[in-house]
Amino acid sequence: MSRDGWRKKASEDDGWGGRGGYMAAKISKLEEQFQKDAPREKQKDGTSSCIFSGVAIYVNGYTDPSADELRRLMMLHGGQFHLYYTRSKTTHIIATNLPNSKIQELKGEKVVRPEWITDSIKAGCQLSYVQYQLYAKQKSLNFTSICARGKQDLSSTNDPFKPNPSHPQSDSIKNGSCSIIEEDAERPRVNGIHDGDDDDACALLPRGSQDTSLTNGYVHPVNGALKPQDSFAEHSPHVVDIGSHQSHLPQTESRDREEPSCSSAGSKSNFHQRSLISTASPAKQPGLHSMQKDLHPKPTSNPGTSAAPQKGNLHDQTRVRLNGSYHMTPNSSNLADSSHQPGRSGKGAEAGVISEFFSHSRLHHISTWRNEFSEYVNALQSRRRAAGGAVFSGKEKLKKLKANCSSGILSLWFMFVRQSCILHVDMDCFFVSVGIRHRPDLIGKPVAVTSNRGPGRVAQRPGSNPQLEFQYYQRKQKQYRKVDLDLAALSMAEIASCSYEARQAGVRNGMFFGRAKQLCPDLQSVPYDFQAYKEVALSMYETLASYTHNIEALSCDEALVDATNLLVELGVTPDDLARAIREDIKEKTGCSASVGMGSNILLARMATRKAKPNGQYFLRSEEVDDFIRDQPVSSLPGVGRSMSSKLTSLRVSTCGDLQQLSISRLQREFGPRTGQMLFRFCRGLYDRPVRSEKERKSVSAEMNYNIRFTQVEEAETFLTNLSMEVQKRLEGAGLRGRRITLKVMVRKPGAPVEPAKYGGHGICDNFARSVSLAQPTDSGQLIAAEAIKLFHAMKLDVKDMRGVGLQVQQLEGSHADPSGQGPSRGRSIKDLLLAKQPAHSPKKDPLAPQGWSSVIRTGFFKSKNVQCPSSSSTDVPETLSKFNPRPVPTLAGAYEFSDIRTLLREWVTTISEPMEEDILQVVKFCTELVEDKDLEKLYLVIKYMKRLMQQSSESVWSMAFDFILDNVQVVVQQTYGSTLKIT
Amino acid sequence: FSSHYFNLQCNMILQKLFKYSLKSIFGYFTMATLTRQDLNFGQVVADILCEFLEVAIHLILYVRDVYPSGIFQKRKKYNVPVQMSCHPDLNQYIQDTLHCVKPLIEKNEAEKVVVVIMDKEHRPVERFVFEISQPPLLSISSETLLSHVEQLLRAIILKISVCDAVLDNNPPGCTFTVLVHTREAATRNMEKVQVIKDFPWIVADEQEVHMEEAKLIPLKTMTSDILKMQLYVEEKTQKT
Repeated sequence: MSRDGWRKKASEDDGWGGRGGYMAAKISKLEEQFQKDAPREKQKDGTSSCIFSGVAIYVNGYTDPSADELRRLMMLHGGQFHLYYTRSKTTHIIATNLPNSKIQELKGEKVVRPEWITDSIKAGCQLSYVQYQLYAKQKSLNFTSICARGKQDLSSTNDPFKPNPSHPQSDSIKNGSCSIIEEDAERPRVNGIHDGDDDDACALLPRGSQDTSLTNGYVHPVNGALKPQDSFAEHSPHVVDIGSHQSHLPQTESRDREEPSCSSAGSKSNFHQRSLISTASPAKQPGLHSMQKDLHPKPTSNPGTSAAPQKGNLHDQTRVRLNGSYHMTPNSSNLADSSHQPGRSGKGAEAGVISEFFSHSRLHHISTWRNEFSEYVNALQSRRRAAGGAVFSGKEKLKKLKANCSSGILSLWFMFVRQSCILHVDMDCFFVSVGIRHRPDLIGKPVAVTSNRGPGRVAQRPGSNPQLEFQYYQRKQKQYRKVDLDLAALSMAEIASCSYEARQAGVRNGMFFGRAKQLCPDLQSVPYDFQAYKEVALSMYETLASYTHNIEALSCDEALVDATNLLVELGVTPDDLARAIREDIKEKTGCSASVGMGSNILLARMATRKAKPNGQYFLRSEEVDDFIRDQPVSSLPGVGRSMSSKLTSLRVSTCGDLQQLSISRLQREFGPRTGQMLFRFCRGLYDRPVRSEKERKSVSAEMNYNIRFTQVEEAETFLTNLSMEVQKRLEGAGLRGRRITLKVMVRKPGAPVEPAKYGGHGICDNFARSVSLAQPTDSGQLIAAEAIKLFHAMKLDVKDMRGVGLQVQQLEGSHADPSGQGPSRGRSIKDLLLAKQPAHSPKKDPLAPQGWSSVIRTGFFKSKNVQCPSSSSTDVPETLSKFNPRPVPTLAGAYEFSDIRTLLREWVTTISEPMEEDILQVVKFCTELVEDKDLEKLYLVIKYMKRLMQQSSESVWSMAFDFILDNVQVVVQQTYGSTLKIT
Repeated sequence: FSSHYFNLQCNMILQKLFKYSLKSIFGYFTMATLTRQDLNFGQVVADILCEFLEVAIHLILYVRDVYPSGIFQKRKKYNVPVQMSCHPDLNQYIQDTLHCVKPLIEKNEAEKVVVVIMDKEHRPVERFVFEISQPPLLSISSETLLSHVEQLLRAIILKISVCDAVLDNNPPGCTFTVLVHTREAATRNMEKVQVIKDFPWIVADEQEVHMEEAKLIPLKTMTSDILKMQLYVEEKTQKT
């Protein structure tokens, strides 16, 4: 019935404001009917009063007692009952649960719980509705008044010696629930859990649910310590201690909210337990607190965030990198100017902006080049295969050279040992040297490549707060330590590359130009010249390819060459080869390159550091140990800012220090894989071969410049456009992907609305969600449909979005035809329907997003091709969530079991001591699973955790599992009347 | 007064009296002939679900050794082997029961369908609970392929056929009964409308509904656009 009720109301929503004459007539007719029925009802029941005279209620959604019952009660007690809501006539709205949108809509109205009516009747007079308000945030109440009212409520409504034995339970529930509501606003503070918690994932959740669910975790142990049920028999309302309400009320309230979903036989037993909780809890509380202390020895060490510290660091890392690399080019300054006009909103959503952004984004250029060069190398190789051998001009030249002057014993030794040798070729400050190759006047001067060509000062825009952002970055990045306040007016254009002369003055890549100009007043700026970069890079690759085809393109100015065979064939030393290559490059491009050589990729890259600028260095295997010992850990691949800071805390700064740590220690600190990686790296061990044909792992498009949406539609349009860009790239690479990830940057709560950098993203939190498709796809439409679904599932405020990225993973070649197996059974209804009525108007369903028609197709497409029974469960289309008022339960954004499992595994294996917030998150997730009636998933999650945590060497994890299990069992017990069997 | 409304609110748990007779309705899944105009999705869901429940009940009775395995025959349903009883009276009882459940499901009034297995003293030892919920908005646009639903149902059937691995053996001489937990006041209408004559619903005994010291074992959850259902077993800790 509750569901029917919702449906009816939903269709009615739009008509609230003004219905025509028909509705007016209907409403007055209903009113008449009500008046007519009232006396009859009074007669029948015998009891009547007029305590509700002047009150007209409207029942919204499921209530307990039901709407019918409330109507009868209003008849009996002189009130009015409106079947349709009218703002002018209806005085109170009765509801036990309202969606957020409705709450918004009903702002300022009296939304009251049905207990108000029943309690008022019991009290024999109309009680104040205030304490029965559904959402206490409607009006703020202070805590002292709550206590007073709570007491008054108890004494007025509860008769401890009620003769009818079936009643106490319902009474005490009402007690519990009515006082909760008013405490709602105060509760977080009272419990002391939420202090300063306005961070990360939690901020995304709707306020209400966040409160309750988080506090849930604290409350359950109280229940866990319940007395056996028979103690209930002695229960009397007087036992309920008002003071103890604080701790157990959130629990009760969350149950209340959930009521519509368990409006069933189970709810009777729920009631039973609820009242039980309120009596038993006070005694057990001290135990609970001490237990929590045991579990979380450092509850305050991480103030005010629910995110693990690693996560935070991760964010910073990505943000900084992105910040440094995304850049407006001079060409696109028009775009920036034009969108500067006030009132122009949702810039990112404008059609064409995406392709424009990508045609100007530096990172985009570079990233596409890398692929281009990879493909160039691939093409060369396949051409050679086809031609059955190619002429390597460079090689021939070197051979001749070699013939002229025979080299020493070393080359012979090399031929003999046949040790592998990798060359790492890297252009010296590529952008600068290309930029000045036709400007000899700039050689030897500090030069930076940047889009800014002015004096490095710009006017400050209104709405931005550069100081705050600088402080933020300063905290995150030590390199901005010497920030002075004048920075506000400096140019925020980043330096893409700077010459060695500039570097000596302290200028760094990625630095803002204004700041750099302060450090080095002589700094010259050179504009971007993408065409030239491309030419130079191509000729560099051509040069390399004239020696060998065993090339791996790393970027436009960086390549790896596996010279093992070449050296053996030519009989030259690596140094000879490097010299030849460098001379060649210098000659052909006019730019200098450095070459590092080593027996593997890692060593070659490290050698390049030593070789720079314009030099070469061969790291002989006998020198490796001495060499690597002095290298800073930050020079190892994969060691970024966060990891090096963590290493610093372990008093590790060089690879030599790192070598002192045991592999088990490293794995404990960094996780099994990373730990092993570090262990090997710091010893110079790296076994990845040079891969000329590099397998792409993902195809993505990302944009975090100028994203300012005002409406959801704009974001959807933007996602669609972005999907088209991804489609273009997938098609370009001839790939299809199976997994789609949506990454969103959201303005960090508290960060200025307008970042210091014009159109930039400012301080952001990053969120990502992904979905797996049944079939790999390269269709922009399909990707857009999934991306929009993911986007809606994230429930973001579009105004705070600062960056959007789409990534397609699990790639396959698009040539393999997946449609080999058709449906085994006859045609489904869907086929028939689609055949009969192929065109649905996308606007037909108000709930559906714009890409609705393609959503249908997605479902169709998926199910049609899924045949394997074992895989079916993972291919469930996610459309249900759209109709379900409750979102799919997620654990830190993950909702598929495989993702959750990965997450849990990472959690348990990488962290030695679980954080209290994380445990509560897991408990909350499990509670949601129970409420979502997905016991199977819950069971799997619990069993998986049990295995993980009880295996863990740390006893804290076992305790954490027991804690989680206890809480979950209580929830299951309340919902289903029995506990899970855990073997 | 208070007791009055409380009783109304309290959800009724109903039970079918055990009776016998015969007929099988396997394979009446003839969706393809329906046209769009004919489609009442509530009915479609009820049809699918009742068909599934029939298969599931037979299989539960077989797997849990409620009846001797001799009365069961191997059949194929949802493309997997299942066991079905050949006892005409038993089949008829199951069918009649489901026939009476169907109107409830159509109106989304059935919340749980429970197969209770009881020992000689009629104390429940196991309860197979099918918890059903339908999305509030059931419309043509929210429906996806039924074959997809079928796959999900097959997964549940497969789970049932192996559930004896996680359950303890039942004592000999067990019987079974089917309970329906309805939502809200569905009972009032049900008393008025008897689908099959002399086959009325009765309110279940408290004894059959509640099991002491039960443990809960989730078997399978399915989520589709037209139906969300989970199957779990409540098992008595000490069965003897």
